[in-house]
Amino acid sequence: MAFSTIFGAWIAAFLTLGILSYLYRDNPFYKIAEHIFVGVSAAYWAATFYWTQIYPNLFGRLFPKDGPLSFIAEVDFNHDFNILYIFPLVLGIMMLLSIFKQFNWMARWGIAYTVGIAAGLKAYGYLNSNVLSQISASAVDLFSGTLPIFNMSGDSVFNNLVILIGTLSALMYFYFSREQSGSYGKFTRVGIYFLMISFGASFGFAVMGRISLLIGRFNDLILFSSPEYNYGTFFMMAFIVIILGFWSFQNPEKKEN
Amino acid sequence: MRLFEDMILKLGSVDRRFIFLLIGLAVLIPLLRPVDLPIKETPTTRKVYDAIEAIPSNSKVLMSFDYGPSTKPEIHPMTLGVMRQLLRDDHQIYITCLWPDGLYMALDALEEINQEFELTEYEDYVLLGFRPGNEAIVKGLASDLRKVYTVDSKGTMLEDIPMMEGINNLKDFQFIFTGSAGYPGTFEWVQYGGDPTGVPLSSGTTSIQVNEVMPYVQSGQIKGVLAGMPGAAEYESMISRPGIAIQGMAAQSFAHLVIVLFIVLGNLAYFITERRERKY
Repeated sequence: MAFSTIFGAWIAAFLTLGILSYLYRDNPFYKIAEHIFVGVSAAYWAATFYWTQIYPNLFGRLFPKDGPLSFIAEVDFNHDFNILYIFPLVLGIMMLLSIFKQFNWMARWGIAYTVGIAAGLKAYGYLNSNVLSQISASAVDLFSGTLPIFNMSGDSVFNNLVILIGTLSALMYFYFSREQSGSYGKFTRVGIYFLMISFGASFGFAVMGRISLLIGRFNDLILFSSPEYNYGTFFMMAFIVIILGFWSFQNPEKKEN
Repeated sequence: MRLFEDMILKLGSVDRRFIFLLIGLAVLIPLLRPVDLPIKETPTTRKVYDAIEAIPSNSKVLMSFDYGPSTKPEIHPMTLGVMRQLLRDDHQIYITCLWPDGLYMALDALEEINQEFELTEYEDYVLLGFRPGNEAIVKGLASDLRKVYTVDSKGTMLEDIPMMEGINNLKDFQFIFTGSAGYPGTFEWVQYGGDPTGVPLSSGTTSIQVNEVMPYVQSGQIKGVLAGMPGAAEYESMISRPGIAIQGMAAQSFAHLVIVLFIVLGNLAYFITERRERKY
């Protein structure tokens, strides 16, 4: 196996164990791993955005080969010259000027443009897919007689009744113009139960997701502990445990009262 | 009885690090010594499988890799499974990425799949790559793909790629699948891809997103969903190609048992403490 692959595996094992060491307590290994992660992520995103978007799509259209501005620079991505792309360039520069106190008002123009575009784009998609389609899907079949009374997973009168009652009661719970008492209050209470079941399911799924990620990390650590990787996990674990033990001895945990 | 209650109180107030250690062991031991647990398919996974089976042979399918290394254990087995199912029926795969690191996930998946299917680039698949812009990219693909992508991930002009002939927007695909770990992902594909164009769409998501995605499945806006690692394991079982998701399910189950046990103990300890405080 190539040295670079083994070296990468050792670094990965060190960073994984460094992050997991936080479970013991906040410590220098965790801090190192955390800072490397933040720094590398920021640099990676910046580089990716520049080379995949700004350079080919913006500069590629402002400074194409044989374009009117090609005497300044030439960025050849087979695009035609498009003067309209000067606007995103200017707005982008204006956003960057926010680091200077006297020019930071300029950033608002770029932000206003972005917010406007995002709001317009979101409004259409959300209204169509989340409001209209969901309302239409809530119009369930109850009385046609074509559905079975009960079915564990598919369409049935019982399941559709649960959808109907759940949707109505949960929606009514958020109607605050009437006091939630009497039979109306009892109905909205049913809505709370539906919401609580939903939150419980969300929590369960969240736990499952986290455990899945832990499984992923453990799988990698197991892989890196093999002879092909020169027992990287074991060496890194021994290194971290020894240093962490010494560090803990030097910096005893303060007991909370 | 009091002795038993004292024991529960002690367990209920155990150091959190002890719980972490137990969960760690519950995950680690089944990974080192695999245990076979039955995998039972759920209707949502079955819907994805059936929807892909229903695509006519030699169709053009768009796959979007909208996740990164952090969620690889959950989503990667799904995308691998879907690719295997698609390639068995000789479908052509067009790969896009709404996440920058999705490109590397796609490369990783292609490398693994290539060992089984001996793929030919630009005949079996084309890796279009990452474009920043989130939902704007999906909307751009729905209206004019060639404005979003003029070159693929290797810089080859789309005009020079034979399998791109006749592909101008999302309507030219017979199916869309997104492996999604958050924003941008499933929601954006539904709102700006699947719903406006009517192209059948399926998704594989992280467990955390499942509750929010499920209404789309219920309404038929998405043809089923692969829900987290269990969804991936079910899918691996359905395509008869066991992988890391099935291996991970025993660890997942044991970890959940430990968590449930501590939730029960914690609640019992709470009620015992409350009762004793009321008494004295």
